[in-house]
Amino acid sequence: MPRYAIIIDAKKCVGCYACQVACQMQNELGPENAFIRFEDRETGKYPNPKYVMVPLQCQHCQDAPCVPVCPTTASHKDKNGLTMIDKNKCMGCRRCVPACPYNARTYLKDEGVVQACNMCLSLVSKGEEPVCVATCLTKARYFGDLDNPQGEFAKQLAKAKQLRPDFGTKPTLLYII
Amino acid sequence: MWANKFPRRTFLKATAATAAAVGAGDVFSFGEWMKQASAAPVTKIPSLCETCSAACGMWVHVKNGRIWKVTGQKDHGQSKGQLCARGHAGIAQAYHKDRITHPMKRVGENDFMPITWEQAYSEIAAKLKKVLKEHGPDKVFFSHNPRPTNAFYWPRLMAAVGSNTIQSHHSMCSTGRDVAYKWTTGGMANADLGKTKYIVFLGRNYVEGLSPSSAAGMAVAHGKGTTIIVVDPRHSNACLFATEWVPIRPGTDLALLLAVANVLIAENLYDKEFVDEWCVGFDEFKKGMKDYTPEWASAVTDIPADTIYAIARGLGKNRPTSCIEQGYKAPNGCNYANGTQMFRMVACVNALLGNYGQDGGMKFGNAPKLGSLDAKKYPAPPKPKAARCDGVGIKGEYPLCQPNQGIVHMMPQRALEGKAKAGFLYRINVARNAPQPELLTKGYKALDLFVVCDIKWSESAMCAHYVLPECSAAEREDLPAIVGATVTMRTAAIDVVHSETKPLPEIVTELAGHMGLEKYFNFTREEVAAAMVKPLGVTLEDLRAKGTVKVKAPAAKPLSFATGSKKVELYCKAFADHGHKPVPEWEPPFAKADKNSFVLIHGKQGFLSHTTSISDPYLLAVAKRGDLERLWINADRAKKMGIKDGDLVEVASPQATRKVRVKVTERVHPEAAYLPAGYGRFAPFLKTGVGYGINPNDFTPCRAEAISGHAMMMEVTVTIRKVGE
Ligand code: SF4
Ligand code: SF4
Ligand code: SF4
Repeated sequence: MPRYAIIIDAKKCVGCYACQVACQMQNELGPENAFIRFEDRETGKYPNPKYVMVPLQCQHCQDAPCVPVCPTTASHKDKNGLTMIDKNKCMGCRRCVPACPYNARTYLKDEGVVQACNMCLSLVSKGEEPVCVATCLTKARYFGDLDNPQGEFAKQLAKAKQLRPDFGTKPTLLYII
Repeated sequence: MWANKFPRRTFLKATAATAAAVGAGDVFSFGEWMKQASAAPVTKIPSLCETCSAACGMWVHVKNGRIWKVTGQKDHGQSKGQLCARGHAGIAQAYHKDRITHPMKRVGENDFMPITWEQAYSEIAAKLKKVLKEHGPDKVFFSHNPRPTNAFYWPRLMAAVGSNTIQSHHSMCSTGRDVAYKWTTGGMANADLGKTKYIVFLGRNYVEGLSPSSAAGMAVAHGKGTTIIVVDPRHSNACLFATEWVPIRPGTDLALLLAVANVLIAENLYDKEFVDEWCVGFDEFKKGMKDYTPEWASAVTDIPADTIYAIARGLGKNRPTSCIEQGYKAPNGCNYANGTQMFRMVACVNALLGNYGQDGGMKFGNAPKLGSLDAKKYPAPPKPKAARCDGVGIKGEYPLCQPNQGIVHMMPQRALEGKAKAGFLYRINVARNAPQPELLTKGYKALDLFVVCDIKWSESAMCAHYVLPECSAAEREDLPAIVGATVTMRTAAIDVVHSETKPLPEIVTELAGHMGLEKYFNFTREEVAAAMVKPLGVTLEDLRAKGTVKVKAPAAKPLSFATGSKKVELYCKAFADHGHKPVPEWEPPFAKADKNSFVLIHGKQGFLSHTTSISDPYLLAVAKRGDLERLWINADRAKKMGIKDGDLVEVASPQATRKVRVKVTERVHPEAAYLPAGYGRFAPFLKTGVGYGINPNDFTPCRAEAISGHAMMMEVTVTIRKVGE
C-alpha cells in the first residue's frame, strides 16, 4: 500500500515561489492563503556567506498534534496516512493552527475553515505528481511512495531526514538540508 | 490572537538533522477526498505566458468557463514542463482589477473618459495626420517590448506612415551587450551551459532573472560538477549553484576582464590557432592588455589578485570548454557607463579561449525560419527613409546602436526638446521602468499625440492622450513564434472578459484603415499565421491542438562572423571610425561609493518581472509575507551606521529621497546597496501594489551611454540614514 511523501532538497531550492503559487492555484486559494511557506537562514561572514531557503508545508505527521485538538474530527488522519481536513466538518475554531509546530495550517477567512497541504490527492489518485513537485524549477522536490520508493525518490530517500524530529510528531515529509 | 509558536527566520536555528524514522502508515484510499473534489470538467488549451520575455508554453486549464490553473508545456524550450510563480499567477490577469476596459481619452490630469473605438481611431488618425503634415514622419516613434504579434503589426503600420523609429525595451535591458557583440562577433552567441566545464557569470542570475529552463540548466550543471564562478556585488540566489561567489565592486567587471585577458596572453593560455585564423587586431589588443595585471585589477575591483589569476587560469586550462557567459542587463547590458566596452571584452576573452561554435563554449543559434506573406498579393509598405528621432544611425549621435532596439528611455527628453511629436507605446511601461520618472512623465505629456496600448493601467498609460485596451494572453490567439527547433503559438483559452477589449491585429488594422492605409493590411491574422508556418510543414490546426510543435532544425552552419572583417574584431574598426576606443581600455564607472555612500544596485527576484508583476495580488502577497521589498546592506557597514535588520532608513540621491526598511546581510559588497527592482508603483489608477516598496529608478538621472545609448541604470550613489526602528 502506498504511503505518499515529498522529499525537499533545500540545497536546490532557489526560493522562486513557483511551488507556493502553483499550489494556491491548484487549491483555489486566495492570495493571502498559502499551504507552502518559506524560512531562510543565512550563516557565515562576508565574503563567505551561506544561504538556505526551506519550503515548509504540512508534514503529514504520523503523531499529528493538530488532530486530537480538533473538536469536530474535521482534522483527521486519512486511511492513507495523510493528515486531512474535512472542509464540511471544520467549524473554523482554529485550535489546530497553533497546535501545529510547523505553522503549516492556514485559515481561509471567507470560507471560515482551516486548510493545509492535502498532497494533491486528487491528482495523485490519477497517477500525477503533486503540483508543487511538478512545477519546481530546479527539481528540488521529489514525490514518491515510502513503501515502494523508486527512481530519483529512492535515491534521495537515503539522504533525507525529518525536519525537527525533536517535536516528536514523526513527520512524513523529508528534507535534505 | 493565535500566537505563531515558531516565528519565521528563527525556526531553522534549532534544526536538528536526525535520521528519518518513518513508521508504517494506514491503507491508502481516496474515497473521501474524491467525494469532495470538484466534479466540473476541465479543458486544457495551449497558450503562452506573457509575464516576461521568455513567453513559456503553457496549458491553460479552464473549469466552468474560467481559468483555473496553468501547467508548463513539456516541448516548449523555455518552460520544459515547468512554470515559475509569475506564470502561475499571471494568467489570471484576465480578471485583474487594473484592466483597461474601454478605449479611454484623457480629459484632465489623471482624468480619463471612456470613448468608442470609432472615436478613438478617428481622433488618433486625425492628430497623427496633423503631426505628419507639420513635422514629417521623423518625429513619430513607436516603443514596445517585442512579441510575435506586435513585432509584425505595429512596425508595419509605422512603415506605412513613414516612420523609422521603432524601439524595443532594450536600452533599459541588454543594448550594451547586443551592440558590443554585433560589432565584435557579428551577433549574439550563447554559453553552452550544458557542456561547459568552467563558466563565469558576470552579474547574470539564471535563477532570479529566470526562465524555468535557465534555472533548471544551472541546477543540472552544478549537479554535474561544472565549475561555476558567480561574479556579482550581491550573493544572489544563483550562488546556491556556484562553486564560488566572487564579490566585486559595482561597475568594475571591465577591469576584471582586462586582467583575465592579460593573464591569458602573458601565460600563453589563449588559443593561438583560433586567434590567428579568426581574429583581427591581436597585436594591438595584446599591447592594450599589457599593463592590466591582476594586481592592478585587484585594487580596482576589490577582488584578490590570486582569485583573478585563478579565474584566468581556470578559463585558459579548460578552453575551449570554458566561457564567460554572455550576460544580460547587468553589468554589461544597460547599467554602467563602461557597459559596452565591458561587453566587448566578454566577446574578446571568449575569442581568446577559442570557444566560438564549440561544445561547452559560445554557440550561435541556428533557428528554423518562419515564412511570410506573399508580397504580390499583400504589398508591404516601402521601407521608410525618415531619420530616427532617437538619434540611432545618425552620425555624431548613436550610429552604432542597433536599429531594431533604439533608445527608448530618451524619448520623453527628446519630446521636451521638440525632437519628437507623436509616440505610440505598446505593452511597455517606460515611465516606471526607466530612470527619472518625473522627467519621463513630463516628456510624454509634452507630445502632441501620445497613444498607449496595453492590458492594464500603467504609469505610462497615465500620460497618454488615448489608451487602447488589448485583451490578455488567455483571451487571444497570436501569431506563431520560433523557439529553438520548435514553433509555438498562443491560442484563446477563454472568451473575452471585457467586451470592449480587442486583440492587437484588429486594433492596428482598424487604425490603419482610419489612416487610409488599408491597402497594407488587406489580410487577416489567420492568413499571416498560415503563411508563417507554411514552410515548416506545420498547420495552424496542429498548433492549436499541441501549442508547441517540433520542426526540423536547419543543418548547422560552418563558423562565421558577420562583422566588417568577417572575423572577431579584437580591434574594432567601426568603433575607431566613430571615435570610440577600438581596443577596450579601462574606464571607471561614474558611481563610486565613499565612506558615507553606497552604489545603488538592483536586480530581479524570481517571482517578479518589472513592475507589472508587483500589481499581481498573488505576487504582491509573496513579497509582503517575506518583506522582500527591503534594501540590502552589508552587515559590517550597517553596524557602523547603527542600523539593525528591519530598521526604517531614508535613502537619498540628488534625484530623490525615499524611505524603506533594510535587510542587514552578509550577502552584499560593503560598497553596494541592493534594491530589488520592480517595486514602487505610483500610477493612481492601479488598485494593487501602489506605494509598496521603492524603485531604484527614482534615484537615477535619465541619461544615455555614449556608444549604445543605454540607460546606465546603476550609475548612482545614495546615502542611507536610519529614521526609525
Ligand atoms: S505539520 Fe502540522 S498540520 Fe501537518 S500533520 Fe503535522 S501538526 Fe498537523
Ligand atoms: S502537495 Fe499539493 S497541496 Fe501539498 S503543498 Fe504541494 S501543491 Fe500544495
Ligand atoms: S519551486 Fe522549487 S526552487 Fe522554487 S521555491 Fe519551490 S521548492 Fe524552491
